[in-house]
Amino acid sequence: MRRRTVLLAAVAAALGVALPTALAGSTSDPGVTPTTIVLGGTSPLTGPAAAYASVARGAKAYFDSVNAKGGVAKRKIDYRVVDDAYNPAQTVQDVRRLVEQDKVFAIFNTLGTESNLAIRDYLNQSKVPQVFAASGATTWGRDAAKYPWTIGFQPSYAAEGWVYGQYVAKTQKKARIGVLFQNDDYGKDLLGGLKSGLGRSGSKIVAAQPYEVTSSDVGSQIAKLKASKANMLAIFATPQFAIQAYVFANRLGWHPLVINNGVSGTSNIMQLASEGGKNRVVEGTITSTILKDPTDPRWAKDPGMKQYRAILAKYAKGANVNDVYHVYGMAVGYETVSLLKRLGANPTRAGLMKAARSITDPGNPFLLPGISVRTGPGDGFPVQQGQLQRWTKGHWVPVGGLWQSKRN
Amino acid sequence: MKPRTQRMIGFFAFAVLVVFVAVLPSFVSDFKAREYSYVGIYLVALLGLNILTGYTGQISLGHGAFMAIGGYTTAILMAGNEQFGGSVSGGVKDLWTLPVAGLVAGLVGLAFGLPALRLSGLYLALATFAVAVAMPSTVKRFEHFTGGGTGIQLFGTDQLTGSTSNVHVLGRSFTPNDWMYYLAWSIALVLFAVAWLILRGRTGRAFRAVRDSETAAVSSGVSLARYKTLAFGISAAYAGVAGGLFAIASAFVNPDTFPVALSIYLLVGIVVGGLGGLAGLVFGAIFIAFLPLWAQGQDLGSLLPNRIVEETQKPGGPAIVYGVVLILLMFVLPNGVGGLFRKIGQLVSGRRYSRSE
Repeated sequence: MRRRTVLLAAVAAALGVALPTALAGSTSDPGVTPTTIVLGGTSPLTGPAAAYASVARGAKAYFDSVNAKGGVAKRKIDYRVVDDAYNPAQTVQDVRRLVEQDKVFAIFNTLGTESNLAIRDYLNQSKVPQVFAASGATTWGRDAAKYPWTIGFQPSYAAEGWVYGQYVAKTQKKARIGVLFQNDDYGKDLLGGLKSGLGRSGSKIVAAQPYEVTSSDVGSQIAKLKASKANMLAIFATPQFAIQAYVFANRLGWHPLVINNGVSGTSNIMQLASEGGKNRVVEGTITSTILKDPTDPRWAKDPGMKQYRAILAKYAKGANVNDVYHVYGMAVGYETVSLLKRLGANPTRAGLMKAARSITDPGNPFLLPGISVRTGPGDGFPVQQGQLQRWTKGHWVPVGGLWQSKRN
Repeated sequence: MKPRTQRMIGFFAFAVLVVFVAVLPSFVSDFKAREYSYVGIYLVALLGLNILTGYTGQISLGHGAFMAIGGYTTAILMAGNEQFGGSVSGGVKDLWTLPVAGLVAGLVGLAFGLPALRLSGLYLALATFAVAVAMPSTVKRFEHFTGGGTGIQLFGTDQLTGSTSNVHVLGRSFTPNDWMYYLAWSIALVLFAVAWLILRGRTGRAFRAVRDSETAAVSSGVSLARYKTLAFGISAAYAGVAGGLFAIASAFVNPDTFPVALSIYLLVGIVVGGLGGLAGLVFGAIFIAFLPLWAQGQDLGSLLPNRIVEETQKPGGPAIVYGVVLILLMFVLPNGVGGLFRKIGQLVSGRRYSRSE
């Protein structure tokens, strides 16, 4: 009886608890104090897309390492991540909470196309920066004039799909491609890009099978693609489904040449898909990336990757160092710190966006050498390059030089 | 004498709730009012689900789908679907879409009630679960009508009251957040009273008879077909209104805003609130609105040690906390918060009984 009363009292008390809000100085924008600068973001920590949580973890580890060295302009970066379970309605609630209650300076690295779409109007109306949205939808860069407070980071999915199409058009005479794609903007943008990249070449898409992000497996889709007599398979799917695609194709005795999108084209995912070397479908897979791969021996002595390993070991204890999503998180963390440094002693939200619209970064230690981060008037896409690579005997081997996309 | 006292206590508790709800925004920050509006929204959905599951004994694992129907009705009526190639021009003010949302979801609920007559127990649960699972794909299938995976944006539309500026009602000015709060809670309290009125009379008795023993109910002249479909219809209409409010509060709908997990959370909500009672549902609504946040250390950050908060923010952390809290709560309150209320009531009246003897 007493415990129950205590429990009830605790619930009632918690209902009334309001976090002491981070008070801003009189001249600065919200989220800035003499000692801290508060950034907020959402990420799935639970639910079907929880694997992406590593992105936020990598970014947080990077900020912690910067804070340990004194922060930016003597301010420590306080990066608050709220779980949205990959549900846009939850993202809206979380972001309103971060803006209105936690009074963050900017919304940073929010993950997911639909989640970012759901909050874009609100943030632009409230004049809160939506920086480095973690999604490859084309709209972030294309609609910069309409949504000046929003900016993405990675190359668009449409550009990535286009590059695969160009590659197939150049290297194959009459490829018959079967496409597995996620039934949302992400999958459709890649599919559309692939189509336009193939152009009028002899290769064509013979079948395209959608799946839902909530479905449990893609076995029937792979069976249908095999039945379409395709000799190439394009996997425009998130890691869990990409692995299944490889496994099911192998079980059906289907050995197409595979294109796997960058989201799932990481070596740790490929190693899982190879089923300890038993699954030969993975061999020869083509993917595109912008990041240095932690498992790639080429980067064993690379200063950027040494820094990556050191930071992860110290500030994200227990994190899997081979998980390339951490590298992505650090790359955007690095770019954000560069922006904040340019703001000087009195950062403002408008100043942050001005800086984000005029990035000239020739190299980011966590991105592949040669990939520059640039924005400017009429160019709302920070990263527009990438590297095609082929999975050969358990490693990614680069194919050709960096690709550059003028089309997004 | 005793039922009358009980009813008096009920009225008094409801009046206290009304007053509490009315004055709460004056004591909390503007933003908190917005978060509490979600409690009101979930309360509406839980009231509906409890009429079906708690009072009539029909388990539904698909109420998130009925919320989706209401949410999409509201969103399409407000923003229209011409931008995706549909034929609805929209332009209906948010408030007036809510009755339609309830009606549409209610009709679908009635229709679903008919096949549900042939199913019972676990089989019904599975059938309703299938509806929840199929909902996102169905929404995407009819892209021209629903906008597909991209969803419908409501923020900044003229139809959304107070998306950007204060709302003036009866000479008073409300901030957008306070407006959302009062909108959600006015509807929730009215529908609370309506649920009580439905359940206290003949219909409520028939519902309970169906729940306790279908055979006995039939032999007493209660039509199973009529009352089961009615319960489904009313229950779905409540979920529809809740879904409409949810769409207005989020100012955005897409298939992922009504995931399968939502249906399960609603069931958790009525179990925590107490099956077959109304008052406890307020706590069920608080539980589903806030536990996902509390489970990752939000709001409680200053009360808990830093180390624990950090653990909860690791991948998968919030889900573990959620599960543990749920198990503990069911252990302490096996009949939910409503069960606790009843127990207190029994203790009090029991003592009085022994004294008068």
